[in-house]
Amino acid sequence: MNALGAVFAREARLAWAGGGGAAGPAAFFLAAITLAPLAIGPAPDLLMAIGPGIMGFAALLSVLQSADRLFGDDHADGTAELYLLSGATPAWLVLAKVMGQAVATLWPLPVIGLLGALMYGVPVETALVGALALLAAIPALSLIAGFAGALAAGIRRSGLLIALIATPMMVPVLIFAAGAGRSAFEGDERAVANLLLTLAVSLGTTALTPFGIAGAIRSRLG
Amino acid sequence: MLSYFSNPQRFDQLARVLIPIFGGLALVLLGVGVWLALFNSPPDYQQGETIRIMYVHVPAAYMAMALYVALAVASFVYFVWRHALADTAAEVIAPIGAVFTMLALFTGSLWGKPMWGTWWEWDARMTSVLVLLLVYLGYMALRAALEDSQQAARTGAILAMAGIINLVIVKFSVDWWSSLHQPASVIRLDGPTIHSSQLWPLAIMALAYTFLAGWLVLYRLRSQALRRRARALQRQRDQLARQREEAVS
Repeated sequence: MNALGAVFAREARLAWAGGGGAAGPAAFFLAAITLAPLAIGPAPDLLMAIGPGIMGFAALLSVLQSADRLFGDDHADGTAELYLLSGATPAWLVLAKVMGQAVATLWPLPVIGLLGALMYGVPVETALVGALALLAAIPALSLIAGFAGALAAGIRRSGLLIALIATPMMVPVLIFAAGAGRSAFEGDERAVANLLLTLAVSLGTTALTPFGIAGAIRSRLG
Repeated sequence: MLSYFSNPQRFDQLARVLIPIFGGLALVLLGVGVWLALFNSPPDYQQGETIRIMYVHVPAAYMAMALYVALAVASFVYFVWRHALADTAAEVIAPIGAVFTMLALFTGSLWGKPMWGTWWEWDARMTSVLVLLLVYLGYMALRAALEDSQQAARTGAILAMAGIINLVIVKFSVDWWSSLHQPASVIRLDGPTIHSSQLWPLAIMALAYTFLAGWLVLYRLRSQALRRRARALQRQRDQLARQREEAVS
């Protein structure tokens, strides 16, 4: 467990030191939710209705934004090989790594999601449900982004490829997370079910994806 | 059995026999199926003549999914047993599957216009087929981006296997999200609800598409296998020439 703790801490520190920490995804998220009303128009009713959905969608995009760094850098400088040689279980190691980065960089997403939803005129209760759903979605989103990042590590201009690979995999978690906010807005009792399903997808992803990421890293080392 | 046919020479012998059989069956069945579907089956009592789009649409959608399953199975076989032929199969299946997926989306859109009044409806099944197309494209893009063929093979296999788990979850989540399609009507526990005058042409078309896809896959698989062998022989010849040169000098 010691090695895992070290990897976790290293990833969190790296994200703070080199990548601006949470600033990148947060700024991207903020920019996306600022642009959406400019494109759609300022009609309050419409913004209120689409608010929860836009929050889920914009959060998904902001997670993708930093996905190429996590395993790309390790692939380039040979750290990935050291991970596999270290003797620690690769699946645990990559889980610690992804979670380290997620904790360091993605924590503002629920906060911005809450504020953004309020700015769109969404009722407070609905906005809270939406923020909770975003929190529940973070493990799934970051692990899927990590999986795509590990597959495409070291490929030039891998960002586009990562987006193409990760978006179909993020469909379920987007549906449930954004659905929680949407059904809360409509006063539907399915809000809780959506929230729980988001959590279920996150837990399932946490159980399975680390093996995929470990396999992907190994396959890319040829 | 897998190991038996993973031998390139045995596969080549088998493919040489199967390719004309599949091609011939595909042509004959397509001919019969199209004739039945377009001329010799009754118009639907509700949908009228537009029901004929079903005979090209439903088999295409079925092939889109069946080929993805084949892609995932081939990837699994490659991943576990490392048969190069399985990887080549995955490589050639992907674009064919993508084309069938596009065909399903396109004909579905043509059918949707007279039936639902829109070219595109964000309904569960259409959306998950669109996601399937993205999965195919992602797989092909990843393979194309990796220059080392062994890396491409292994990484692609992992993505294809993850993709099939994903597609199952996508199916359920999108069903939860919205549904407008009719419930399944051909494969059901209590027998098909579709009338036999429509079921027959549909079944023949489905069979024709299956043989068509099988033909295309086998044909491309054999050409790829031959190309690999040609390259290996070329390399061998170059090496021999070099050795001879060294010996002379």
